[in-house]
Amino acid sequence: MTMVKILFYVMAFVTLGSALVVAAGKNLVRSIFMFFVTLFGLAGLYVLALADFVAVTQVVIYVGGILVLILFAFMLSGKEALDKIEEQSSKFISLKNAPALFLAALFVVIMLNVVFKAQVDSLPWIKVAVETHNVMPVDGTAINEIGVNLMTRYLLPFEVISILLMVALIGAAHLSRREGANQT
Amino acid sequence: MNFYLTYFIVAAGLFGFVALFTMFGVYAERKVSAFIQNRLGPMETGKYGSLQVLADMIKMAQKEIIIPAAADKVLFIAAPVIIFIGVYLGFVALPWGPGLIPANINIGLYYVFAIISIETLGILMAGWGSNNKYSILGAMRSAAQIISYEIPAGFSIIAVVMVAQTLNLQDIAMQQGVLSAEQVKFFGLWDVTHIGGILSWNVFKAPHLLVAFVIYFIASLAESNRAPFDIPEAESELVAGFHTEFTGLQFALVFLAEYSMMFLVSMIGVVLFLGAWNTPLPNIGAAKLANWTTGAGWGIIWILLKSLGLVGVQMWIRWTLPRLRVDQLMNLCWKVLTPLAFLCMLISGVWRLWVM
Repeated sequence: MTMVKILFYVMAFVTLGSALVVAAGKNLVRSIFMFFVTLFGLAGLYVLALADFVAVTQVVIYVGGILVLILFAFMLSGKEALDKIEEQSSKFISLKNAPALFLAALFVVIMLNVVFKAQVDSLPWIKVAVETHNVMPVDGTAINEIGVNLMTRYLLPFEVISILLMVALIGAAHLSRREGANQT
Repeated sequence: MNFYLTYFIVAAGLFGFVALFTMFGVYAERKVSAFIQNRLGPMETGKYGSLQVLADMIKMAQKEIIIPAAADKVLFIAAPVIIFIGVYLGFVALPWGPGLIPANINIGLYYVFAIISIETLGILMAGWGSNNKYSILGAMRSAAQIISYEIPAGFSIIAVVMVAQTLNLQDIAMQQGVLSAEQVKFFGLWDVTHIGGILSWNVFKAPHLLVAFVIYFIASLAESNRAPFDIPEAESELVAGFHTEFTGLQFALVFLAEYSMMFLVSMIGVVLFLGAWNTPLPNIGAAKLANWTTGAGWGIIWILLKSLGLVGVQMWIRWTLPRLRVDQLMNLCWKVLTPLAFLCMLISGVWRLWVM
């Protein structure tokens, strides 16, 4: 086995194992910190897939942003609320869990279908791309391509997303304003 | 296999350097503070107190590691390690000289920026794991501060990157001296490609980059939780903030992380703005000072001197300015630094299009 293969299996194991702990753990805060390990394993898998930019972006957005925000929400909500969640019954099979189990089972079916039917090694569009040399070399110029594409081909989606974020920002600022602030 | 061995040696060397820097940093901090406050500082242990840090270290290693009964043990034990690893990983992508870089990543700067954010998570972990109200208040203040100040720091970095046109730290370093492959202009007017020295540093490439450097420096103080932005560990309000409960070696790790962070942000500032490993001496006529003082060995000396200089300024500021209040801190970040950093980014774009 080559080094890359060993690394892949290690990363995959770390990602899956920590994800299981996240889902099954009773202590919610610990689950969040375990989620951090999952995201890191995922970033490692991205690096192995030669998508280093995606890997670093994953760390910036999820670890630096979203995880910290989730933790903030936890720390502001106080211990009593958290204890109540931990007291919930943890029976695996119960009527409450039925919709979740159903969804999860369906999702497994879809995933397995994709894995077995796709035949990743012989996808037609990849073959065409290789034949017409419409491929990108792995020489560290990927970010230049990403930048150029964002500013040309994908400019409209990019701008639409920025407007969405702007709306969210203004909404958050409006909600957090004190009621009747203009009277004081 | 030699290939992997080199990596291990480099990693161990970097760790040794960080530890050594922390030792000297603590001693320097105490002496600088003493000088600024007209005291003598440590004088008893060894000549001029030079063995003080060693004595402190031995004391720290002997202390019992106390875990509070109500603490979340796993998080409590893991937190200092994660705080330190987050900072230590940042050193991977920083260049030390021409051809001397532990890992030449083409998105090095982005990587460093990403990996530093792990420290925030470690601090929150420490705050929550300690199960102490002061710890958690300190951790939340720290996280809020670091997240807020990442924005002006990020945009001032983008201002440089737009001028440099690359995220590879080694390439950015290369552009700021006589080894540059492209034309370097002093304030966009005077071609200094073959003169080099201090004239070709990034801060002098465009006037707005001077402003960007000041913004970055202020933000980096906040990111390393240094005074005047040390409200996360404000001694007069929060005992010691997020590391209140740590003793012995765990406290040593937190301390190591703080000093490594100081050096890391200074080194990023040097690489981006102050010419990285390039010499400050320009070529003057027949005296090719820049050509003579550029090389791998010289590079390490220059980058060390410059980074230590910036660390010195950090210490100077810590013992000069009073601590900012929380609302003042946020006002400074969102109402002053962020708009200025945005302006710098805009000017960078215009500069790249029309001047360079």
